[in-house]
Amino acid sequence: MMMGQPSGVLAQGVQEERGEDARLSAFVGAVAIAELVKTTLGPKGMDKILQSMSRGQEVTVTNDGATILKSVYIDNPAAKVLVGKVFMEVRLKGLVLVTNDGATILKSVHQQSSCQGFRGFREASDCARKVLEECSFNNAQDTTRFHQDLMNIAMTTLSSKILTGDKAHFARLAVDAILRLKGSGNLEAIHIIKKAGGTLRESYLDEGYILDKKIGVGQPKRIENARILVANTAMDTDKVKIYGARVRTDSMAKVAEIEAAEKEKMREKCMKIINHNINCFIDRQLIYNFPEEIFADHGVMAIEHADFEGIENLALVLGGEISSTFDGQDAKLGHCKLIEEIMIGEDRLIHFSGVALGEACTIVLRGASSHILEEAERSLHDALCVLQATVRDSRVIYGGGWPEIRMAKAVDELAARTPGKKSLAMSAYARALRALPATICDNAGLDSAELVANLRAAHAADPNSRMGVDAVCGEAGDMAQLGIYEAFRVKSQVLASATEAAEMILRVDEIIKAAPRRRQ
Amino acid sequence: MPAPKQGELLKGSAKKKDVRSSNIESAKAVADAVRTSLGPRGMDKMIAAPNGDVIITNDGATILQRMTVTQPAAKMLVELSKSQDVVAGDGTTSVVVVCGALLKKCQDLLDRGVHPTIVSDAFNMAAQKACEVLEQVSVSVDLDDRASLVRAATTSLSSKVVSQYSSLLSPMAVDCVLRVMDPARPNMLDLRDIKVLPKSGGTVDDSELIDGLVFDQKAAKAAGGPIKVEKAKIALIQFCISPPKTDLENNVIISDYSQMDRVYKEERNYTLGLVKKIKASGCNVLLIQKSILRDATTELSLHYLAKAKIMVVRDIERDDIEFISKTLNCLPIAHVNHFKPEKLGTADLVEEVEVGKGRVVKITGIANKGKTATVLLRGSNKLVLGEAERSLHDALCVIRCLVNKRFLIAGGASSEMEINLALSNWAKSLGGMESICVRAFAEALEVVPYTLAENAGLNPIQGTITNMLEENVVQPMLVTSSAVTLATECVRMILKIDDIVPVR
Repeated sequence: MMMGQPSGVLAQGVQEERGEDARLSAFVGAVAIAELVKTTLGPKGMDKILQSMSRGQEVTVTNDGATILKSVYIDNPAAKVLVGKVFMEVRLKGLVLVTNDGATILKSVHQQSSCQGFRGFREASDCARKVLEECSFNNAQDTTRFHQDLMNIAMTTLSSKILTGDKAHFARLAVDAILRLKGSGNLEAIHIIKKAGGTLRESYLDEGYILDKKIGVGQPKRIENARILVANTAMDTDKVKIYGARVRTDSMAKVAEIEAAEKEKMREKCMKIINHNINCFIDRQLIYNFPEEIFADHGVMAIEHADFEGIENLALVLGGEISSTFDGQDAKLGHCKLIEEIMIGEDRLIHFSGVALGEACTIVLRGASSHILEEAERSLHDALCVLQATVRDSRVIYGGGWPEIRMAKAVDELAARTPGKKSLAMSAYARALRALPATICDNAGLDSAELVANLRAAHAADPNSRMGVDAVCGEAGDMAQLGIYEAFRVKSQVLASATEAAEMILRVDEIIKAAPRRRQ
Repeated sequence: MPAPKQGELLKGSAKKKDVRSSNIESAKAVADAVRTSLGPRGMDKMIAAPNGDVIITNDGATILQRMTVTQPAAKMLVELSKSQDVVAGDGTTSVVVVCGALLKKCQDLLDRGVHPTIVSDAFNMAAQKACEVLEQVSVSVDLDDRASLVRAATTSLSSKVVSQYSSLLSPMAVDCVLRVMDPARPNMLDLRDIKVLPKSGGTVDDSELIDGLVFDQKAAKAAGGPIKVEKAKIALIQFCISPPKTDLENNVIISDYSQMDRVYKEERNYTLGLVKKIKASGCNVLLIQKSILRDATTELSLHYLAKAKIMVVRDIERDDIEFISKTLNCLPIAHVNHFKPEKLGTADLVEEVEVGKGRVVKITGIANKGKTATVLLRGSNKLVLGEAERSLHDALCVIRCLVNKRFLIAGGASSEMEINLALSNWAKSLGGMESICVRAFAEALEVVPYTLAENAGLNPIQGTITNMLEENVVQPMLVTSSAVTLATECVRMILKIDDIVPVR
């Protein structure tokens, strides 16, 4: 909206929004973003199709907030801030919650835009945080119960995704994979392979490492007690990599000699590699026919064209180092007990078992179409991240809106005790907190107002109540019995981010849009 | 209708409903497009590509792939068909038809106000029960029972254009697979070990399963080399018999014309040297890999090779190398100095024969032949050939299914009706919305026999019913069970979508 410009202060074409307009526009943007992802929340949340407008017209189907937000065209600056804030927390789940909470806090507070408002906000958020900490519990000492906690958290995370039909199966998969890491938290050691065909239920966890590549012709297809050299070197030609380098001779015979010399060089290189006493050679680049044959003659399995990330993972998993030169004998070799060729669906892959890095494992995903596979991978990744966060900080809380209701109750009580405008801000914050269970209910087709009120009453009656939203049965339920758990770390991070983002946007009272670059 | 429990009602906004309906509509449109190809009386489709190429086909996966589909939900059906191809090979049309029918039923349920997740969960349960039913009615088959395998292949071919040749093609398919199969590792059946070489000319009747190897390439006759060699020793080489060329760019600088003579002489000597080494190894048939960097042979080298009575076949593709070396039990040789007797393959006869209008090179009587098979497929024109190749592929996949899961069920949609009955009965024991959804699932499966009858021009309600097992119409259980599960998974995914967002 154009305001009357004092002459010459701002350049031509600059747009300004001040005061109420600015705030309104910011609020509109944030709410629009929240509405976009709102319907994906909870076990009855839906997915979205992201249809790419660019070349390729690719289609992605997803429930994951980060993926949706990453790809959407955003014009409104406030919305951009919200999305940007969201991305700093990309490792953790709960992005939907961030945007949702942020927007609802904005919605309920946009009247209270004075510094009293902000202070009230901050106090409310501190109070909420304390309550969250108090009501979390920690089962790290008891391994069986901790295991059960992990399973529950995984199942809760997966319940809103496409994997929900087989969530017990995938929860076990994720928990097994994470427990194998033994707390090292190195998610790179978990390799995910997607193969179309079969159903989701046929996905499995394999204790070795599976590489989606083929073995060279004429080479052994099965090796026990393998010594592996991982390399990143050109095995195609040994050219001097200077553009325009050329050789001048005066006779054909000399050309033949040079050709022979080139071949001899390649042979020497191969022999140097073989002399490391290896029986398996993995190269990131191509291996041409000549060296391939030499390796075959010496009984060495050669694998070519392992892609870049694959190579680093592979080196990590096998315990070797990536070499580029082979002169000395000091290259660090990788080890594993068995390498063999296996078949998944129609393709052949290479399976390494008994690898040096015992934590490594591979999850093979099967599914009906590539969309399903990609969404399954994203969901599994989410679950793995959440579980990893829990392994690091083993406090857990119940889910299904339970923490929000408790926090809201505490904040309400605080507001009742506080004089001044701050208390208005606090009650607004409490309302915002209660919006989360309300969204879950809405997505499930329930009467959210009724249900949330019921929960509120239940919590008021019994301070240790464990009631939350049971979206499957459509009423308030006991979260411990239903096994709906969440990781404490995720929740507290969500709360903090949402409050910060909301605050950042609220402080804005003027938006200046720079003039578009003029085309000469 | 039992009173819905709380939470089973869908109170969606208008926007959500529209998106979901439009997804379902477009997916249904795709399914309807392929419906008429189902069954032995199913018709084929002719697909014209923008560049003028024409394909005639009955295979669901192929039709869908060539159709340019832009609507995202419809695209998922295309992927679905591809997946069915990967798992079972056949039933690509059926899976799309089943998916379309399920979606139609979903639309009804949604219109009545049932929440999509309820439908989705109920369908999941129904699909699992359907698979159990299938396992109960299936008949186990032994891989030595060749007759049943042939019957299964015949059923799969019955809906294709080449169905009249099924008495030739089915046993051929079965023999191929049995030859390629390694009994110690039945799950490693790789259909790439079966090479199908289409050659136009003749009719499909002239196709044959070769006990050996066939190349589409011709022998190099330019210099008068032999085109028939008995007691052949075959070398598969990956280097070139031509003037030396370094990887680095090279120039030969000559300062006077007497040196030009010397260049020629050296080239001759070099080539002669190569040929002598090849001859010395005892090899008399040379298979040369195609090279993009330089000529595989020159006229001079061909001349020398012909004088040495060595038969030459050029332009072997790099992808074929593995297949060839497995069949001939030889190893590829990358350098002339690497010739060793164990790297050569042995065969009784290598000759170039005339096949239709073209010529191919045929190798028979291979010693220690690897577990591969080659089929020489003939057909009167390119379209028939293309469809014959696809049909043969489907038949091969069907047999592979049987190797993986050794169960057969009766075909002709009798198993779908069986599932329908069982599910309807089971639905009565469930309560609430679930029962309605499961019954809808069962009704959706009725579409298969309905379509089969429709395509045959019979009245679908009455129609003729016969005992399928007696009629020898059988199909592998894997085809139907995977069709049901894959279709259900796809439907569940489509149900979960409530918005389409245009993105970068």
